[in-house]
Amino acid sequence: MSLLYLLLFCAAGFGLMRFFLSGQLRPSLHNALLVSAGAGVGLGIASCLYFVCLASLGPKIPVLAAVEGIFVIAAVALGLRAKVRNLELSPAPGARIPRYLIVLVGAAALLGLVLFVTHSANKPHGEWDAWAIWNLRARFLYRSGELWKNAFSAQLSWSHPDYPLLLPGLVALCWTLSSESTLVPIAIAFLFTFATAGLLISALAVLRGRAQALIAGALLLATVEFVEVGAMQYADVPLSFYILATIVLLCLQDRYPDNARFSILAGLTAGFAAWTKNEGLLFVIAVVLARAVALIRFRSVPRLVRQAGSVAAGLVFPLAVVALFKLRFAPPNDLASARPADMIAHASNVGRWIAVLQGFGKEALFFGQMAVEGELVRGFLIPIALVLLLYWFLIRFRVEERDRSAVATAALTVGLMLAGDFLVYLLLPNDVGWQMSTSLDRIFLQLWPAGLFAFFMAANAPELVAKAAGEKSKPARKPAKAQRRVAETRPAR
Amino acid sequence: MARHQFAVIALLGVALASIFWVLLDVAGAYTHTSFGVDAFQNRFGDLTKAVNARTVFGYISDNRPDDPSDQAEFYLSQYTLAPTVLVTSVNQREVVANLHAANPDMNALRARNLVPVRNFGNGIFLCRNVTVP
Repeated sequence: MSLLYLLLFCAAGFGLMRFFLSGQLRPSLHNALLVSAGAGVGLGIASCLYFVCLASLGPKIPVLAAVEGIFVIAAVALGLRAKVRNLELSPAPGARIPRYLIVLVGAAALLGLVLFVTHSANKPHGEWDAWAIWNLRARFLYRSGELWKNAFSAQLSWSHPDYPLLLPGLVALCWTLSSESTLVPIAIAFLFTFATAGLLISALAVLRGRAQALIAGALLLATVEFVEVGAMQYADVPLSFYILATIVLLCLQDRYPDNARFSILAGLTAGFAAWTKNEGLLFVIAVVLARAVALIRFRSVPRLVRQAGSVAAGLVFPLAVVALFKLRFAPPNDLASARPADMIAHASNVGRWIAVLQGFGKEALFFGQMAVEGELVRGFLIPIALVLLLYWFLIRFRVEERDRSAVATAALTVGLMLAGDFLVYLLLPNDVGWQMSTSLDRIFLQLWPAGLFAFFMAANAPELVAKAAGEKSKPARKPAKAQRRVAETRPAR
Repeated sequence: MARHQFAVIALLGVALASIFWVLLDVAGAYTHTSFGVDAFQNRFGDLTKAVNARTVFGYISDNRPDDPSDQAEFYLSQYTLAPTVLVTSVNQREVVANLHAANPDMNALRARNLVPVRNFGNGIFLCRNVTVP
């Protein structure tokens, strides 16, 4: 039954997406993108509504059921009644897809699915952070009744009671409406893990063509750390979903500049990132800054002003929920409560700079390696950074003029997030070595789908199928003006 | 075209080989899992029914403090007993004792002013601290 509720929330998210970006109701790339993004939107709104109900009226099940029911019915009705606009997201033109690429993608999806299912079957409660933080909080919210504020007790400070409640709220909501079951957090983890892949594939198919989309999607699904951390029921994969969704929607906004709805939805998903993890608040700042820089550099200030208003409109609801939680219920964050004198001392400590730089350098090179139970190291057999470097060397980047602000937004956001995280490690924790050893790999993981999106937005479309004989014999034409302006990063020989 | 094909096959080949390698490894790795949450929860059995959200319980274990499983077992105990709040201290009126020895040393508990009031089996005891009113 609880799984049905999750599906209803996803359906409501799709309905809302369709209300904003309606297309024909049929199997299509447009609807695949809406389904993928809508899953996160629906789950995010359901979680926010749960907390607002709990905070304002306490654990009143009939009220909660009514509010969530109205949300689902209204969102689905809006989606069904939405007028079909002249907006159909279709695949970017590209060469035929070779069969071996489809086989490789299918194999990646199958192996990713098997890994997820195997892990979830063996560890239905998830791993350490799941039962020490996220599912523990869900149990407190669900089992405590009128004493639900115990979930944020100072006596539980080791379990970070200041962390936002998107995941615990969602789990507790489904348990409240049905009954307690480990299937709920497993299903939520599944939805976020595979919706992220669906979103990456569908967005790149629209913006860069099916070949880029399938390569990026296969790489994500075959990233052991991504699938395993998803199955571990940590909040990092849901956060990576909202980071990717925000960036994708902003990039689509550049392709459809007259439709401000993309920016509204981007604001909404950015707000859900802040409702998922504290790093999400850093993401909101990073993406707003990155967007501003990208639009000023490649578009215009009036466009920036218009989009800023739309993004702010989308941000209002989730950020209000985050503010309600942070200001009225959450204890102070252990890192944020560092004293200025300590931060100055940390910043002037050369050893810390070296330690943090080394940590970031190692993680960038060996991303994807996971120590499991302190002994086994899993991940890519060859450092994926080197393989991507080889890929870039062979295929190179090629950013069309119309995509420059989109690629700049994505790359700058990832860069600013890394810079922000670098500063957090440098300034705040007392034991920086321990802090990095327990979290840095997941910081990179949060940015992995968005990083792949930026990489494949910039990468040249690979030629995987021989051109037809007629095509080869055509005389070379003088490139159009727009084509000549294409940014080519390949160095001159 | 061959260069592009090589790039794509190399990238996806490395990724697929990596995840396939991990899958081969998975079965062996999971068989020596240290903390089976379900098994741990079963140890607490009836204690979960005897506690409530209004009381803060102390917690004591016979693990050595430097044993890495000590912290994990405390977290799992809290996860199991939620919505009761557990604190790693014996300075509460009621204290949960998580003992592993076949014949638990009751004198060690009494030395800390703890009197077992109920034995839930599997090394789980509910104790009362006689110094806390």
